[in-house]
Amino acid sequence: MKNRLPRPRIAFFDMAGCEGCQLAILDCEDIFLDLVDLVEIVQFREAMSETAPRYDIAFVEGSIHREIDADRLRDIRARSHRLVALGGCACHGNVQARANDWAPAENLQRVHGADTAHRVQTDGRYWPLWAHTRVRALHEVVEVDYLLRGCPVDRDEFLHLVKRLLAGSRPTFPAQPVCVECRRHGNECVFLQGETCLGQVTRGGCGAVCIGGGYRCDGCRGLLPDANLASHRQLLRERGLDAEAIDQRYRLFLSGEITDREGTDEQ
Amino acid sequence: MGSYLVERSVFIDWISRLARHEKVYFPLPVSKSSFRFSRVRSRSRLALEDFDDPRQAKPFRASACIPPPVRLLAPDNELLFTFRRDSAGDCHPTPVLDHNRRILAGVRPCDLKAIALMDRFQGDGIADPYYLARRGNTLLIGHDCLQPCDEYCFCEAAGSLSWRQGADIFLTPQPQARLLVEPLTDQGAALLADAGFPACSDVQACRARAAARRPTPFARQFKAPLARVMHAVAESWQSPVWERHAGRCFSCGTCNLVCPTCSCFDVRDDFNVEDPDSGRRTRHRDACMLEDFAEVAGGYNFRKSPAARQRHRVMRKFVYLPQRFGGTGFCVGCGRCGRQCTVAIDIFTIATDLLAGAGEAA
Amino acid sequence: MILDPSRYVAPGMAGPQGSKPVRGNIYLPVPAQVREVHRENDLVTTFVLEFDDPLVNQEFSFEPGQFMMVSMPHCGEAPISFSSPPGRGGGFALTVRRAGRLTSAMHRLRPGDTIGVRGPYGRPFPMTELAGSSLLFVAGGIGLAPLRSVIDFCLDHRSDYGEITLLYGCRTPADICFADDLERWSRAGVRCLCTVDEADDSWSGRVGLVTELLQDVQVEADSWRALVCGPGIMIHFVLSRLLEMGLPRDHLFTTLERHMKCGVGICGHCFLEEKLICREGPVFSLAELDDTRNL
Repeated sequence: MKNRLPRPRIAFFDMAGCEGCQLAILDCEDIFLDLVDLVEIVQFREAMSETAPRYDIAFVEGSIHREIDADRLRDIRARSHRLVALGGCACHGNVQARANDWAPAENLQRVHGADTAHRVQTDGRYWPLWAHTRVRALHEVVEVDYLLRGCPVDRDEFLHLVKRLLAGSRPTFPAQPVCVECRRHGNECVFLQGETCLGQVTRGGCGAVCIGGGYRCDGCRGLLPDANLASHRQLLRERGLDAEAIDQRYRLFLSGEITDREGTDEQ
Repeated sequence: MGSYLVERSVFIDWISRLARHEKVYFPLPVSKSSFRFSRVRSRSRLALEDFDDPRQAKPFRASACIPPPVRLLAPDNELLFTFRRDSAGDCHPTPVLDHNRRILAGVRPCDLKAIALMDRFQGDGIADPYYLARRGNTLLIGHDCLQPCDEYCFCEAAGSLSWRQGADIFLTPQPQARLLVEPLTDQGAALLADAGFPACSDVQACRARAAARRPTPFARQFKAPLARVMHAVAESWQSPVWERHAGRCFSCGTCNLVCPTCSCFDVRDDFNVEDPDSGRRTRHRDACMLEDFAEVAGGYNFRKSPAARQRHRVMRKFVYLPQRFGGTGFCVGCGRCGRQCTVAIDIFTIATDLLAGAGEAA
Repeated sequence: MILDPSRYVAPGMAGPQGSKPVRGNIYLPVPAQVREVHRENDLVTTFVLEFDDPLVNQEFSFEPGQFMMVSMPHCGEAPISFSSPPGRGGGFALTVRRAGRLTSAMHRLRPGDTIGVRGPYGRPFPMTELAGSSLLFVAGGIGLAPLRSVIDFCLDHRSDYGEITLLYGCRTPADICFADDLERWSRAGVRCLCTVDEADDSWSGRVGLVTELLQDVQVEADSWRALVCGPGIMIHFVLSRLLEMGLPRDHLFTTLERHMKCGVGICGHCFLEEKLICREGPVFSLAELDDTRNL
């Protein structure tokens, strides 16, 4: 009774991002062929080129910077039964959302020098890239059904989502901190090693790969809904980080989220 | 059962030889300060405590063993059964029980007690077949403690320091780099039968010598007997102490997941991509400090605040499970939760504060 | 110490007098076939189930108030109370409200489909202790399901029980479950009073909370017992009102709901303070509950 599940049409799209998440999915090569057996991939820039008008599941990678991208996303949404934000950029703006901390002209000046600042208004070559007002996550533009977090996404979570949707049930991504997976894997806590980590306030689901690999958590999967940021900020301070260093740590991946929250900045 | 007095290096050689044809687990270092019960390989360096040099760092500390040895009997991501759906749509589950024989060596008294408590817990009325299959094929080699693990330990106060029950063999450090090796069960005696260790002529004297070597008091102490502490916790439902210790909590579940007597679990189903008609049901260690632990299908959360969850965790150790299992406290004082909490929320401090609060109220 | 695993081969549910569990590995679901599907309303469906194995069918028994752990592949497991009385032979009924992943999948079941079940678990209503008394049932929404098992049990043993009154409240007329049973019970002499919080054109009955129906009943402290099931907040208000009406705490019973992963006291999810709902409950007398505000 193989393949008695209907083969859904799946498409991948990318907005502003590095396409690393699509690569992470192609990295499922050991089961990728079985997966292709279960689904019909109709658009996947990294892997094949075909187009189809309607999709059962659309995976969209990257954040929205330009209005034409927002329009493209609205079009994809209109043609998709389920829309999945693929990766940190699509879910919460990720690193790009740092740009929102300054006016577009300021960003331009920072990158291209003071003499270019005025061109954002006058020089067509800088349009439309610098004309945006805000880097947006997908859910700020359209309704998103599921979020696959991470920079890049976790292949097991991707498989979980696809399998659940294939089985006709809802995928679940528990809102639990990275610490849970560290403890389950028996990792030594980064703080015990005298370092600092964002694991306590970051959504897990990644298997704590960074800590398992000898690094720390920088928060790429986004803030937990009930993250105790006041306590975390105090902890980082106790461990010798000054206010600026703490902000740098939070703002690397979490700019898109942390600005929305009260009491997170230094009083 | 005859006991042996053997040189430490000889015993370590014996364990290493044993590991060639048995699955032997021993606390091996994973970093400068932490250990993990890992499979002993030919090149593993095993270290046991030295009697004569108390200042020498403990070779392995219970509180520094993440995760606790009992996790080898109830691992995370444990396969309960595989299932297969036939052409009629019927599902056929096939249970997968782990009957592999294994030996856990270097288990400290607090962890021995934790395993003994889990034996009671998992075998109570309705038995957990998975735990019991593993446990039934596991031998334990306990190791005495002559000095506290670290500043988080409070095993004597928790009534675990002298615990031996459950061990098949028990090791006690002796002067001149020697080791008292006591078989406590028939299986332990059988394992030692061919070791060729010299017999010990005066076991009582050896034990007494080791006991005298321990500092008094041993590690942190409550300001009242354990029974009073447990009573104070039981009477503390309305105490302001819960809030005081919850303010900095991240609800990250670390204290649960490193605890040797936390056993709550969650169950997951998964199907195989290569064959959607087959799949598996696994269980995962869950933690009552996590935000969503007590949430029901409708979304209502019975323990919404970190303080309420903290209270449940502590009550379960000091009140709820003791009530069910003959009064023994389920906190064994290993110090893992305090050591690994990044904001130093320590069950010892909580219990001490509750005791102090009870004193004031009285 | 090596434990003798044979000593521990799932002794099954110790406790409830009459119930006989399915034996073996406690975590293994046993296949049961859907015999009938009754749609109670848009969200609630009753399934009549029968074990595939005729021997298990013969051996199996349960008591009102107990529950089964129900599972479907890929959807996990959930505890569901019996909504039919025991002792009628050939299967049992479970009534399910569509809420989560499993219950949504169950709503796609048709007669002939198979699901996995294990149980029965939990402490039932004390039917022997209740014998000789008049019974007041108070139910909210799908909370009528476990009480349906009790009511039908009482009707099957009519001479053992005195008067029977049922007060049933739902949010809207569309939320009413067991409409046929309500009629059947009325015909059998059960006094049934229904109310809805919000009426629509189809409704000519009473409007208001189920607690208001309590004004219409007279209960003697000695001879009456009350059984209450519904949302936590409803249970709290109904029990408080019944206490004011003079019923002693040990004459009041309720059945509670929690998240459960095992049904047998191991997974740790269903602690209500020191009590495990799956083992000491789900049925409790109010004498055993200190505080009903957080049910």
